[in-house]
Formats: sequence, C-alpha cells, structure tokens
Amino acid sequence: MTFEQYWVQITELTLASIKARYRRTFAGFIWVLLNPLLQFGVQSLVFKQFLKLSVNNYYLFLLGGLLPWIFIVSTLSMGTPVFIAHGHLLRSFKINPFVILASQILDNFINFIASVILILTPFYLFSDQPLVNILALPVAILPLLLCTAAMTFILATLNVFYRDINFVIGFVMSILFFLTPVFYPRAYVPEHFQWIIDVNPFVYLIEPFRCLFVLSSWTDFFTWCLKGFGVSLMMVLLSMYVWKKRRNDFYFRI
Amino acid sequence: MTSTSASEVLLSVKDIKIFFELEHYHHRGVRDVFVSAITHPFDYLMKQPELLNVIDGISFDITRGMRLGIIGTNGSGKTTLCRSLAGMIKPQAGTISSTNEVRAIFDTGTGVVPELTGRENAYLLARLFFPGMRDLKPIVEEAISFSELGHFIDIPFMQYSKGMQSRLLLSLISSVPSEILILDEVLDGADVFFQKKLAERMRSFIQSAGASIFVSHSIDQIRQVCTQVMVLHKGKIHFMGAIGPGWNEYLKLQNT
Repeated sequence: MTFEQYWVQITELTLASIKARYRRTFAGFIWVLLNPLLQFGVQSLVFKQFLKLSVNNYYLFLLGGLLPWIFIVSTLSMGTPVFIAHGHLLRSFKINPFVILASQILDNFINFIASVILILTPFYLFSDQPLVNILALPVAILPLLLCTAAMTFILATLNVFYRDINFVIGFVMSILFFLTPVFYPRAYVPEHFQWIIDVNPFVYLIEPFRCLFVLSSWTDFFTWCLKGFGVSLMMVLLSMYVWKKRRNDFYFRI
Repeated sequence: MTSTSASEVLLSVKDIKIFFELEHYHHRGVRDVFVSAITHPFDYLMKQPELLNVIDGISFDITRGMRLGIIGTNGSGKTTLCRSLAGMIKPQAGTISSTNEVRAIFDTGTGVVPELTGRENAYLLARLFFPGMRDLKPIVEEAISFSELGHFIDIPFMQYSKGMQSRLLLSLISSVPSEILILDEVLDGADVFFQKKLAERMRSFIQSAGASIFVSHSIDQIRQVCTQVMVLHKGKIHFMGAIGPGWNEYLKLQNT
C-alpha cells in the first residue's frame, strides 16, 4: 500500500469516529474545548492569583505549556487501550494496526489544533509577541506529534501483553504533570534537581512550542527543536523495535 | 494439463513454520512477572520458553482457478495459516510468495464504527478492503443491493443481527473480483439462501480470475464452494486432494 492510501484510510476512519462521537451529543465539539479551557482557568487562578508565580505574561506562558501537555496526556491515555478496544476488528480482517492508532492520534491532534486556534491565538494577538513566530509553529509541533505518536504506539503495543499499562498510565501522567515544567518555568527548579527535568522526554516536546509564545531567542528555539527531534527519533526507533519483536504474538493476544 | 493459464501459480507457500512462546499465553500482568521473578529467581532467568508449533512445515501452491477448502479439528492451525497467507502474521521460517493482493476475512460481526449506520460502515469497510480503489460508490451500492438489507441499511450497524452483519460484510468483500480471497468460517451467521447466493457469486468471480481459500466445518458448504480440500492436522498437511476422500480422512482423525 502507498502512503497516500494509508492516509486516506486514516482520515476517513478519523472522520467516521468523530461523526459517531458527536451524533448523539448536545454540545458536541464544545466539550473538546471545555476541558482545556477549564484547566487553564483554574490553573491560572491558583498559580497566578493564589500562589503568585511571577512569570512574565503568565497566561500565554501557561497556555504554551498546558495545551501540548493536554495533547500528550489525552493521546497517551486514549491511544493505549486502542488495540484492545479494536481487537475484534484487527482479528477480523487485514488492517494495519497503525492505521487504527494513527486515526486515534489524528483525532486528538485535531482537538489540539482547535484549542490552539480558539484559545491560545486570542491571547497571542493581544500580547506584544512578534507575529512572525506563528510561522515557526509547524516546526515546533512536528516533534510533539511524532514523539507522542511513537510513545503511544509503544504503550498500545505493550498494553496488549501487559494490560496493567492502561491502569498505570493515568496516575503516572498526573504525577508527571508536577515533574514537568508546565505551569512553572524551568528556571524555578534548583540546580541539583535539574536532572529530573533533563531526563523528562516531555520537556523536549513542550519547550519548542512554548518558546514561540514567551520571550526567547531564535537560537533557543532551534536548540530546543533539535533536541525535540532527537528525542522523537529515539522514540520512533524504539517503537519500531518493539513492533518487530512483538508483531506475531500480537494477533494471539488482542 | 489443460492450458498454461490454468496452472499459473498465484500463491506459493514453501515450508513455513509458525511458533509461539507458550509462556506468553498465560495471562500475565507485571505483578505476576514480578512475583515469579522473586519467588523463583533461578527458574525465571534460566527457563527456556516452551514453544508451541502452530504451523509445522507446510508447503503448497495455489493456482489460478483453484477453490481450496481447508478442514481440520479445532486448534489444527487453520486460522493461523490463513492469517499468514493474508500477511497478518510473518512465519518464523519458510516463505510465502504472492504476486497479488490477498483479501481475507475472519469474522463478520465487526463494524468499524458500530455506532454508524450500515451504509456508512460499508463505505468505511470498502476503503479498508480496497485501498487502491478511487471511486467506491458503484462497488458499495452494488454490495448493498446484493446484501438485500433494504431499509435496514440506514440504521446503526450495532443494531444488526449476526446474520445481517455477515450479509453486509460478505457482500462487500466479494464485491470486487479479487485474485485471492480467503473466507475463514464466516458463512455460519448467514442464512442458507444467502450462503447459496454467495457461493454462486464466488464461483463466477473465480471463473473469471483468481482463486479462493475457504475454511469451514460444514461439508455442505465445502461442496458448494470448493473444488478440492486440504486437511490440516497438528500444523501439518494431512491430506490434500479431492473433497470426498479428504472428508473421509478428516473423519478418521477423530479416532487417532
């Protein structure tokens, strides 16, 4: 199969599941925006008004970290059980498992882009950030998408063999939320704890994106992007290794 | 030998072996692995995983116009063999060479998105079955009329009975003459009228091009669809040839 044929399958599957999801809801797509909006509202209230974090233009800073974070968490938690949930389909006829997973990821990615356009952009337009930054957005989003996809593929595949992963992923991500500089800047972390940040792969996916919305130099941006691509490449290679090793047992375990 | 095209090999299987680590079969979570590693550390590290040979050295050719039935007891490796022919499982040894797209269906109770209507699912399935096809509308509409589902086609797929689901899926997968079509125990949900109709359709398709592999436990269905049978037993070919003798061989297996 060609890449184009895969792409058509993925997009049509995504559209169909979106259609099925909203067919019987009242508010439909609003729910997708309500989650990031509420999280943003509560966090900005607590961290800016109660805890008084002194960060320049905190709303934009928070959104720049929170929206990618929500994308990562929702993709990992919705993507991990995907092979089990569609096990019947995968066993019924030949369909590339990656098509099913990719359509789940694309679904979440559309929500992410929608939240960037509808929530982040207004704050961005009213800030004094140079508008030209928005042109670099695709470069910053690419490692985020690539690495999240590879991680989800690894977790979803392993979840077929160890169903525990699906139970663990939820609370692990809620712990990691505090260990990842999402609502606080990296600079707040004391020198001897910096290694916690350095080994956290999510940092390298969020920072390139956030760079564009807070004051930073282009050298900073490209350095983060390079690191982001490095981490992504490692994850992609790891996911290919896991799949190669497990692909046969896969059909006997879903 | 009648003509050169009649003996053209569409799919060639050479000495394939498929095995699984038996340990993986047990439903283990991280906790069980941890417990066994702590309580029996030596066993855990040293024990060689037990291997289960599902397919144990099989060779055969599928030639143009062949309608092969596969019979065998439960667990003889029928589905695993078909999955490997369809390219879902890679054999650990041996080769499967095919010049053509192999289409296979193993279960008919599956809508891609069961909440959507039968028609919407049909279009989605057609996209998954026939990725190269540009214009799906004529194919899908033909399949829908072949399925005789009538006004049921526009209600959600999940409300279908087993037979209706199977009608829709079988109509679709057989709507395009395919070079090699594999049906693995999928006729049981459909009623006899539809089984007859489908057998007719497969015969006419296979006469024009291609070959088919048909797995079933019913001798009537095999006779309806196939020209010869393969009897699988414990991952090996026990018999291959005419239907009558093949069925007798299969019945003898019960006593061994």
